Amino acid sequence: MPSRGWGMLRARPKTTSIFRSEVMSLVQLYIPSDVARFTVSQLGEMGLVEFRDLNADVSAFQRSFVSDVRRFDEIERKLRYLRLQIERSDVDVYDFLDEDFAGRSRGPRDIDEMEERISAHESRVLKLTAAYKSLQLKHLELVENKHVLEEVSSLFSEITGRQQQPSVARGGSIGRSGTAGSSANRYDTAPLLGRTDTSSRRSIGSMDAARAGDALAFDVEAGSAIGHDINVGFITGVISRDRISTLERVLWRSLRGNMFLNYVDIEEPIHDPKQDGPVYKSAFIVFAHGESLRDRATKIAESLGATLYHVDSSAERRQEELIDTMSRIDDLHQILENNNVARVNELTSVSEQITTWFTVVRKEKAIYHTLNLCNYDANRNCLIAEGWCASNDIAAVQSALHIATEDAGSNVPTVLQELRTTKEPPTFIRTNKFTDGFQNIVDAYGVPKAGEVNPGLFTCITFPFLFALMFGDLGHGFLMTICAGLLCFYERKLAWLAKDESMRMFYSGRYIILLMGIFSMYTGFLYNDIFSRAMGIFSSGWAWPTDAGGEGVTVEATKLGHTYAIGIDPTWHHASNSLLFTNSYKMKMSIVLGVIHMTLGICLQVPNALHFKKRINILHVFVPQIIFLFSIFGYLVFTILFKWSTDWYARDASGELTHVSPPSLLNMLIYMFLSPGNVNESERMFRGQAVLQTFLLLIALVCVPWMLLVKPLILRREHRKIISEGYGRISTHVRVSAEDDTMGGAVVLTEQEEMEEDDFDFADIMINQSIHTIEFCLNSISNTASYLRLWALSLAHAQLSEVLWTMTFLPTLKMSGAIQPIAIMCGFSVWFTLTFFILIGMEGLSAFLHALRLHWVEFNNKFYDGTGVKFEPFSFKAILDEAEE
Amino acid sequence: MGGALVFWVGVVTVGICVGALFAFKGMTDPTLWRTCSVLSVTCCYLMWAITYLAQLHPLIIPKRDDLRIDL
Repeated sequence: MPSRGWGMLRARPKTTSIFRSEVMSLVQLYIPSDVARFTVSQLGEMGLVEFRDLNADVSAFQRSFVSDVRRFDEIERKLRYLRLQIERSDVDVYDFLDEDFAGRSRGPRDIDEMEERISAHESRVLKLTAAYKSLQLKHLELVENKHVLEEVSSLFSEITGRQQQPSVARGGSIGRSGTAGSSANRYDTAPLLGRTDTSSRRSIGSMDAARAGDALAFDVEAGSAIGHDINVGFITGVISRDRISTLERVLWRSLRGNMFLNYVDIEEPIHDPKQDGPVYKSAFIVFAHGESLRDRATKIAESLGATLYHVDSSAERRQEELIDTMSRIDDLHQILENNNVARVNELTSVSEQITTWFTVVRKEKAIYHTLNLCNYDANRNCLIAEGWCASNDIAAVQSALHIATEDAGSNVPTVLQELRTTKEPPTFIRTNKFTDGFQNIVDAYGVPKAGEVNPGLFTCITFPFLFALMFGDLGHGFLMTICAGLLCFYERKLAWLAKDESMRMFYSGRYIILLMGIFSMYTGFLYNDIFSRAMGIFSSGWAWPTDAGGEGVTVEATKLGHTYAIGIDPTWHHASNSLLFTNSYKMKMSIVLGVIHMTLGICLQVPNALHFKKRINILHVFVPQIIFLFSIFGYLVFTILFKWSTDWYARDASGELTHVSPPSLLNMLIYMFLSPGNVNESERMFRGQAVLQTFLLLIALVCVPWMLLVKPLILRREHRKIISEGYGRISTHVRVSAEDDTMGGAVVLTEQEEMEEDDFDFADIMINQSIHTIEFCLNSISNTASYLRLWALSLAHAQLSEVLWTMTFLPTLKMSGAIQPIAIMCGFSVWFTLTFFILIGMEGLSAFLHALRLHWVEFNNKFYDGTGVKFEPFSFKAILDEAEE
Repeated sequence: MGGALVFWVGVVTVGICVGALFAFKGMTDPTLWRTCSVLSVTCCYLMWAITYLAQLHPLIIPKRDDLRIDL
């Protein structure tokens, strides 16, 4: 007979319901080493088991399968690199998942093969990318060189021209950026050295040396007009456009003005592989006097990020170089193109597989992470795993184990056995797509303990209903239902919404919104509100006089013999005193429904107490609480109903009023506490009211010490009895063992579990109990008052929609003339937009939050601990979803 | 009619609820559907009953001052 750890308390059939969490079993698996990977993989596909960490005291680096995890980390890194390259080079990722490979168990050979292919792809892409980068740098250099050659010529001519023919040079320099190219051509032939004017030119002594040595600097006879020997050299280069002024200033300062800088903006942007986008650059030339200054200028320019290029001072040479550079650029272009094609081809072939590979690698990594949680028994060459799974799923787990053994081609089966434990199992509530949203609302407050009553079941209806009480409007409810209905109807097609940050909330809560909409339609129908207008479906209980009235004359309706069948009489809609009626009605309804809702909450303590075998919680917690609530607020509900169902203006046979006057319930409740035993004659509802009220008050008073003292005292008596009989605590630790140790010698290393600390501390219990009691008594008052928010929000919603109607749409209907159709169109669109976004969007959100509060605080407080831990089975689906984000 | 209607509709509601407790045999989670139907029928009944009762013996009479007289 298999043991069923937690299931001791449960002998009922294994029906699955969200009323309670699933019955869980702690299972132990003996997995032969060669099947281990297949087994875990199969379990990951099914997602049924939550593995426990049996190596909690072993650090992450000392575990058995660290090297495998590292290996897949490495492969994943490569894949990430490849994907980055694919994204950069605008190759479309072929979103195809090879189910055959990713969805089944893979042998080690498949994995090796995959790793090899990925590595090969990666190294090829790496090489191609490196080559591409270096070629690009080369290309950049050539392009910049070309620009320098072109632009510098113009600068040269400008400078020399200024000396000789100022007017022409000026003309060239004006088109600095605009006509740089053409001006360069125009002055290409202008000689830099070897000026015709020999009388003003002196050969500079260091010229030959400079030509031979310094590659960058050349002596130039630029200042020749001055007519004496100077040693002027120049450097040329390219710098990004925004740096040019900095360069100029720094050079000016550091060379103390002994320089001359000129520059031309290169018109077309340059693609610098070091930077992301295209960069705008300028070609510059700096003339400086003397070698040391030139060196300094060179250093400064380089430190500012300029690239310096050698330019010959003779125009012919420059022309030659330019032609040479152009042809090299063309060649390089061809090579770059070829390289790019090869790279894109490579990446395209990767992109077909990359989704599959990512999936496989993530799965494999998860498998080894899980294997790291298991215990390795070297003697028997098997792994021991422990984990929680739903008792209902054990058969499925067993079949998964069977499949895995077959996949691996092994004939040593994996052994599964259930352990008996006192451990608290994780909470597994089997939700479907409908209950999932509601369960999320509950889980946000707290996950139920194992076996505890799950408020999610009741929330499914009470939540939309309480929401609808605040949102009641047939029209608004209809629009909401349509929207949510579309979401639900096309949920497959719209599944992508779940990934969208802002729409996820609406998509995952579509069934909540659907029910909220449907209930809002119902409550709106009862409130007789459709976009704040009334509907006269049934025959009204009131009649307006036909002979009296007029603007400013107050008339009263006359009561007919019947009551409006379903909902509020439309007559109230037009009445000037309608708020008096609806406020009283909605307030009372809030109290009545609130007390019923809280009663449901208190009553749910009973199944909890029955499940956990705590009779004391029924007798000395539940009973006094429910009596306390009923003797005060139950009585209030009773008087509300009593007052409604009594005809306070009825007359007896002789025409006398049978009742004095309708009582004020608020005063009644206040004086029930202030002067017990007395009821004002004019406020009296029924005979014996004073006696009943005194009696109820006394009962409520008795309940307080009952709740406060009885449970702790009983617990203390039981504890003393145990002590006096000699049963103390024997040991704090209990060794957990397998049910039947047929494994013979297998070291069952289930760790020692700590028993729940049951040190009996009377003071502690007493403090807890008194807090609990005080909280309950005070909360029963404040919570009841809290349900008045149902009235307040419903009033606000009705008034807001009424105001919107009269402010935006109604005036256009009362217009006359030709512009009325246009006005109606405008009025309607404004009214509809505001209705949709403010009344349905904003008001809906606020009503949602208030309904949430009523459930979390007013309802859950009464019975719900919510201290459980969520069951998170090892599942590839969850892991892959997480990795996607 | 009066208050008796509320009572009789209440009886019908209880009947429906009891019926719902034995329905949904074939569903995967009968408890869920039973609870949902019982709760929604109860909620709807309660609200209708409260609305009906509130108008059964009105304490105030609707008034208006913008009534036009049809002549």
